[in-house]
Order: sequence, then structure tokens, then C-alpha cells
Amino acid sequence: MGREQESSSSEVMKFFENRFGAHEGVLADILGSAMGRHIDDADLYFEYTTAQSLSMEEGMVKKGGRHVSQGVGARILSGEKTGYAITEEIRPETLHEIIRTARSISLGTEGVSALRITPARRDSASLYPVSDTDLDVPLSLKKELLLEADSAARSQDPRVVQVMASVSTEMKSVMVVRRDGLVSADRLPLVRVNVTVIAEENGQRQTGSFGYGGRIPFSEVMGEPLRHAAREAARQAIVNLGARPCPTGSMPVVLGPGWPGILLHEAIGHGLEGDFNRKGTSAFSGRIGEHVASSLCTIVDDGTLPHRRGSLNVDDEGTPTQRTVLIENGVLKGYLQDRLNARLMGAAPTGNGRRESYAHPPMPRMTNTIMLPGETDPEEIVRSLDKGVYAVNFGGGQVDITSGKFVFSTSEAYWVENGRIQYPVRGATLIGNGPDVLTRVSMVGSDLHLDPGVGTCGKDGQSVPVGVGLPTIRVENLTVGGTA
Amino acid sequence: MKDSETLDLLSFVIGRARANGATAADALLVSSDDSVVGVRKGEVEKIHRTRSRGIGLRVFRGHSQAVVSTSDLDRGALENLAREAVEMAGETQPDPFAGLSNPGPGSLPDIHALEIHEDPPRDIPQEERIRLAIEAEKAAFGEDPRIVNSEGAEFQSTVTHVAMVNTEGFSGSYARTLYGISCSVIAREDDSMERDYWYEQSHYFRNLAHPGDVGRHAGRRALSRLHPRRPQTTTCPVLFDAEVARSLISHLVGGLSGYALYRNATYLKDRENTRVASSGLTIREDPLLKGGFGTRPFDGEGVLSKPKILVDHGILRTYLFDSYSGKKMGRSTTGNASRSLGDVPHVGISNVLVEPGTRTKDDLIHDMKRGLYVTELIGFGVNQVTGDYSRGAFGFWVENGEIQFPVAEMTIAGNLDEMFQSVVEVGSDIRLRSSISSPSLLVENMRVGGG
Repeated sequence: MGREQESSSSEVMKFFENRFGAHEGVLADILGSAMGRHIDDADLYFEYTTAQSLSMEEGMVKKGGRHVSQGVGARILSGEKTGYAITEEIRPETLHEIIRTARSISLGTEGVSALRITPARRDSASLYPVSDTDLDVPLSLKKELLLEADSAARSQDPRVVQVMASVSTEMKSVMVVRRDGLVSADRLPLVRVNVTVIAEENGQRQTGSFGYGGRIPFSEVMGEPLRHAAREAARQAIVNLGARPCPTGSMPVVLGPGWPGILLHEAIGHGLEGDFNRKGTSAFSGRIGEHVASSLCTIVDDGTLPHRRGSLNVDDEGTPTQRTVLIENGVLKGYLQDRLNARLMGAAPTGNGRRESYAHPPMPRMTNTIMLPGETDPEEIVRSLDKGVYAVNFGGGQVDITSGKFVFSTSEAYWVENGRIQYPVRGATLIGNGPDVLTRVSMVGSDLHLDPGVGTCGKDGQSVPVGVGLPTIRVENLTVGGTA
Repeated sequence: MKDSETLDLLSFVIGRARANGATAADALLVSSDDSVVGVRKGEVEKIHRTRSRGIGLRVFRGHSQAVVSTSDLDRGALENLAREAVEMAGETQPDPFAGLSNPGPGSLPDIHALEIHEDPPRDIPQEERIRLAIEAEKAAFGEDPRIVNSEGAEFQSTVTHVAMVNTEGFSGSYARTLYGISCSVIAREDDSMERDYWYEQSHYFRNLAHPGDVGRHAGRRALSRLHPRRPQTTTCPVLFDAEVARSLISHLVGGLSGYALYRNATYLKDRENTRVASSGLTIREDPLLKGGFGTRPFDGEGVLSKPKILVDHGILRTYLFDSYSGKKMGRSTTGNASRSLGDVPHVGISNVLVEPGTRTKDDLIHDMKRGLYVTELIGFGVNQVTGDYSRGAFGFWVENGEIQFPVAEMTIAGNLDEMFQSVVEVGSDIRLRSSISSPSLLVENMRVGGG
């Protein structure tokens, strides 16, 4: 299995060599000029991405798209300083030019030394052995799938008045060449399907949305998964037609399994990214070893889960990904690091140096952020609610890193009294304080689910695919922003 | 790339689409040169230079369409992509309303008169850029000893070129320069730590705000947030600061999109010429506003842009259409096509301006007597289909017409329809800071979620 990974990596290197003349001699020459006493690190990041999408609404497949994106980013690091420049015309001359521009960050004279280019060795198999052919499905077949999704949603309920569905595939080839001569290359497949439904009754309209995705062959979303997404989107829209205003104020909240794990992403994940903690601007700065969650909580960031949307064989700086324990039995254990922040904090990189594309320098980012399961029966957790909200689906969330205040908004939630679901409630934003919200986790279910694979995280203008996972949990005293 | 070379390349692209069987096509080239200098704690932290360009091509085979985009401008690669686009258009389904927009009569406005392009762009040496950023951050630190940390200050300059051609004979291009200074700092006292920021931008370097003012303002904002309390859950008036009133206006304008209309996806469906806001609210759109951050001579389909009134004393006067959504609704384009490289047009805005009132923000705080003055909002709890609104808020608690203390960890919730109908006061404090400009807005009552 190990051989498979290596051969895929050398294939990618060959690809960049053939397409852009980026052979070892050129790379050694360019990065060899990025030497000097004041330079701590340097890299070149090559990217070539092709993407295809097809979308449907009103029972018609109205548009198709194909997109090609190529470029190289050059980065020079000196102390806390970063110089970054890019080119989309990839030739040895332009590569020399961007490394010179990036170098302007560092003081001192230009150093040049001989560099030996060494392909990185990895012993494990690829987390996502998906080939171009696994993604290359004829457009006519995709068209059929989208129309199937349309009828699946409409046959679910006559109140469905609009169905919008899309399928997209992407293959991203990347190659990172570091100043120590190490070259890491990878191919990142990404598949996504999405269905949004609008239902109408008595002049009231509501939406529902559901999707699947991951670093998977396209065949895995074909047929039943896409039809299921359509039915699920329709179900949510219909449920919301009966939704009443949500009560307001501080109350216990039960979060369902899976995507509600966005709580972890916003409440603690961002606050544990190395950059904020190195600068001391996070509400979690300097708190390693402290109790920041109830002892029921163990939370990891795991970039090594096969086929997951947030997974990577190596991060965008060539560091292999890993499973990093963030919180263990309530105690803060570690931060998420890229190379720059790890070096400055005297820590090891954790394989979390990620970037949206060649046009952006990497920074510490999450991969798949997960709370490990407990032992409580999830039904018992819902039954435990005397009066409170049971939230099973969410839209997006956001956090203020410094004060720790974070929000996430429900898209399917219920009011519960005496342990029984009473009625669905309209969308409400939940707000809490990251460093203490998890201290109020009073129950953790045995039903860990990962999200369906459509999450995207934004930071500093860069979007990257991520995942979350959560068992059913109960949180005391969360502020619910309803209108009732 | 020179203008003539750009238009030449685009003509080549649509020519290849035609040769491969497209019945119509349009193509767009966007190039930008962006430079960012960042400092932190008085030292240079980053120097980023991003020169980027890409082409977007949309092709039609009759009424079927496809769109392709690429950052590989090699003619051979473009030729292949044009062929693939035409093939793909053979697979999508014909839609009678899909097609190029008829540009209509009129000539492009004088681009120089729009004041969005400093020509030639100011050549600012790196040392000067660094100095400007350092000055902003230094001013923030100098504001108060409780400003103890920084996310940094930045000076940014961007030159963007946009060129478009279509097979109906449209050909146009324009350039835009943008200079900006931003600063983000952290105030700390005891166990309270709060971050805030400020930015200023301008199309002309000479009109850019003084960096010291940007830094001082960022510092003052961070300080004012120290030791926030959590308000009790209540129902009260909410004053939206001009900075956050913009987002409120964006939700209303988003609900006017022709796409949202035919999809049944807006709470403002079937509301033309009816009341959608209180009579104090008049909202205009001006694509040709001098120096505006959304100013453009033509829209994403090459349609010449004209000023118009969207909401007149609370009455909705027009929805917003591009060619496709207009035809779907039996209307014509309102010149609101917005186009990105990788997608077909959709509806977007240029400059949206709320007519200011006569009373200052302080007057409004005085008038509301008791309530919430909101200065920052987070989260995405806005549903355009239902108008349901619920977001996380930061701001200040007002009693007896005066600010009492900062507040945080709370929500504000309501419904956009009701919120706009109950805007009881429109402030006088309008400033041109982004493509949407609004003064502060006082909403009579909202549900506030807290302790």
C-alpha cells in the first residue's frame, strides 16, 4: 500500500515537471537562492486544479461549468516575517522573480547554496485513493442524477415548490518544495452534491438544504445518496413550515449528532490555532493544562480520516497530518500549528498549515474537529430536557477569537418540555463564550456522527474544506436568540 | 497587459467559441495587482504581492449555456477550453430565457469622471507603505496604556482591470485603483480582553485618511468594549450603528433580486409598489457615483448603468434584474448583472445609498431612552425566504438616553419585514465607506436574548 502513495506523489512531480519545466535542477536553483543568515524557512507551492460543476433548478439542468486554476506561490520566512508572491505564468524566470519579491521581507545579503532535492517518503497509503476516472462521470449521467433529485424532492411532498440541486467535482494537484530540499506532492479529489428545497403552504415559505461530499469517487454520491439528500432537504423545509417562534434567553440545549459539531469548530477550534496563541490574542492564550471543558469532553482535530472532506495526506507545507488532541477529559492539551507558529512557539508542527490556493500563504487551520463519544444513550439526553431546545441542524457560525464569543444558527430545532418534543422552532442564533461553554456540557452521548461532508471554513479571506463530528450532547445555559 | 491586447485576447476567445459551434458568447478578463504590507508591534510582519489574472467565457448553443474559466492564458489552452465549453453547452438543457443581453442604446460614460481610477497609479515606495502602517498601529498603542497587543496594521493597494466583449458587438473595459489602511488592536484590563479594528479606503491615494486617525479610532473602539456585561433577556429599541446598518440594508436589497423572485425565495415577493419599510426610509442605487466603492460604467452583461430609486419613503419601487431574471419575470434588465469569472451572471448591486435624516447618532441615542446600541454583529442567522433574523450582537446598553456600559454575548432577533416597517429614526451620520452606505437606523423593538 505504501508504494501506491509514493507512486502517486512522484506522478504529481512528473506532471509539474512536464507541464511547467519544474524539474529538480530548476527547483534546486530557485530555492538555493533563498538562503542567507536571516532566512528561517522558504517554500514554493505549485498548484494545478480542474473543477467541473453542473446545476439544476425548475426541473432543468441550466448550466454547466469547467474551471482551471494554476499558479505558484513563493514564501520566505524570517523571524516573524513573511514575504509572499505568486505567479500564474509558470516558467523558471517568473519563479525566480517571485522568490526575489518574497525575499524583500528579509534583511541581509543574498545567500546562495547548493540544494539537494529529495522527494518526501511516506509509508502509509493515501487517505483518498481516487483517480481522475473516479471523478470523470459523463455529463449526461450527472444530468440524469440531478433530475432524479428533483423528482425525489417533489414526490416527497406536494408542498415542495422549488428544487435546486448541484454536483461538483474537483481535482487539485499540489507540490510543496521546501528550502531543506524536501518535496511533497499530492492529489486532492473533492466531490460535493447539494440540494436546496423551498416549500410553500398558505403563503408561508420555508427552505431546507442538504448535501454530501468528501474526497471520494463520484459513484459514492450517485443514486440513493443524492435522492436521500433531496428527500432530506424536502423534509427539513416541510418541518420548518410548521415552525413557531423560538423562545429566547439562557436555557439548556441538546445538540444532535454530526454537523452540530460546528459548536466545537467555533467555540474552541479557532481559538486554539497557533497564530492567535503565539500572538496572545486568543481567549485561550497561555491556558494549556487548564480545565476549559467538563471532564466528559475529549476533542481532537484529525486530518487522517480516510475520504473525509477535511482530511489531507500532507498539509500545504509538506507536513504529514495527524490526530491532535486539543482537549482531553476537559483539560486543554494542545494547539494547531503550521511551521511558522510552531517554530516561534518552540512546538512541533501538527500538519495544520493550510491555504486556500497558491494565491494565499498558509496559516494554522482545522481539518476534522471531533468530540469523542461518551456513554449516555442519546434518547436519554433528549428526555432529560425539562424545558429547552433540541437542535439537530445548523447553518453557519462565527467567532470573535479575542473575547471568545461565538455564534451558530439553527436550521432545524425543536422545543422540548418534560422530555418530549413539542414543536419545531424557527431559526435562532445561539451565542456562548468559547472558554467556558464546554464546562457546561453535562451529558455526552454514545452516538458520534461525522458531518455529511460539505463544511467550508473561512479565515482571513481564505476558504478551506473542513469537517466536524459530534455525539448528542447537552449544554447548560446557552443563550438562545429567539423571538418568543 | 495593455487594453488593446486584452480585448484582442477576448475577441480571440469568443471567436474560437464561435468557430466551435457557439451561437453566441461573452468573455471577461479580470486582472489585478495587489500589494499588502503588514506590521505588528512596530515591526514589518508581512509583505504580500499578488499579480493575478483570469478569463471567464460563457457560451450559448441556442438557449443552452455553459461557462468556463481559467488562469492559464496560453492561446492553445484557451482554444481547448472554448471547445470544451461548447461541448458542455450541448449537454445543458435549453432555457428560452437564456441568452445575451441586448446592450441597448447609449455610450459608455466617461470613465475618468467616475473617479475610481488614479491614473497612473501612485508609485509608493515600500518604505513609505511600511511607514504608513507603522504610524497607524503606533497611534492605536498611543491611545491608552491598556492597548497592550495588536493583530497588526496594514497598508494595501490594488489595481484591477476589467474587460468584457460579447458576440453582439459589446466591448468595454475599465480600471480601478484602491488604497486602504487598517488597524486591529487589543485592549486588556484585569481579565477582560477585547479586540476591535478600523479601516479607511479610497480610490485615490491623496484622499486616503491619515493613518494616525485610523489607529486612534481602532484603539478607542477596542477600549470602549472592555468589561462588557451580558444584558437580561428583554424586548427593547435597537439602534444599529452606521457600520452595522449596512448589513441590514444588504439583507433588504438581497431580497429584491430577480432570481430570489422567480425561485419564491424572498419575503419581498409580490411587494412592488407596496410598503416594505417605514416612510423615513428612502434607498437609492447609483452605479455612477463619483468615487463610490461599487461604481462601474457597465454591469456584468455590458449593460450601461443608471441611477434609480429602490425604496421611496418606504414604498418598494423596483426589483433588481439582470437579463435572464428580467425575462423570466416578464421585465427587462435593470443593469444589475454581476459577473464573476467562474459563473453565469447573477443580480448584484453597485452603490446603494440610504437617504440620511437630520438627527445625529447622539440624538438617536437620546431619543431611544432605554435600549441597545449595536456596533457589531456576528453569525449568519438571516433567512431571506422568511425574513427571520437572529444574530449575535456587541454594543452598548443605553438608559436615560445615555450610553451606560458595553454589552456582549447576546442575540437580537426579529423579522426583516417588521424591522424595516418599524425603523422609527434615520440618522444623519452617513459616510461613503463601502458599496452600501447607510446612516444609523433606530428600530422600534426587537427581542434581545441574554442572561
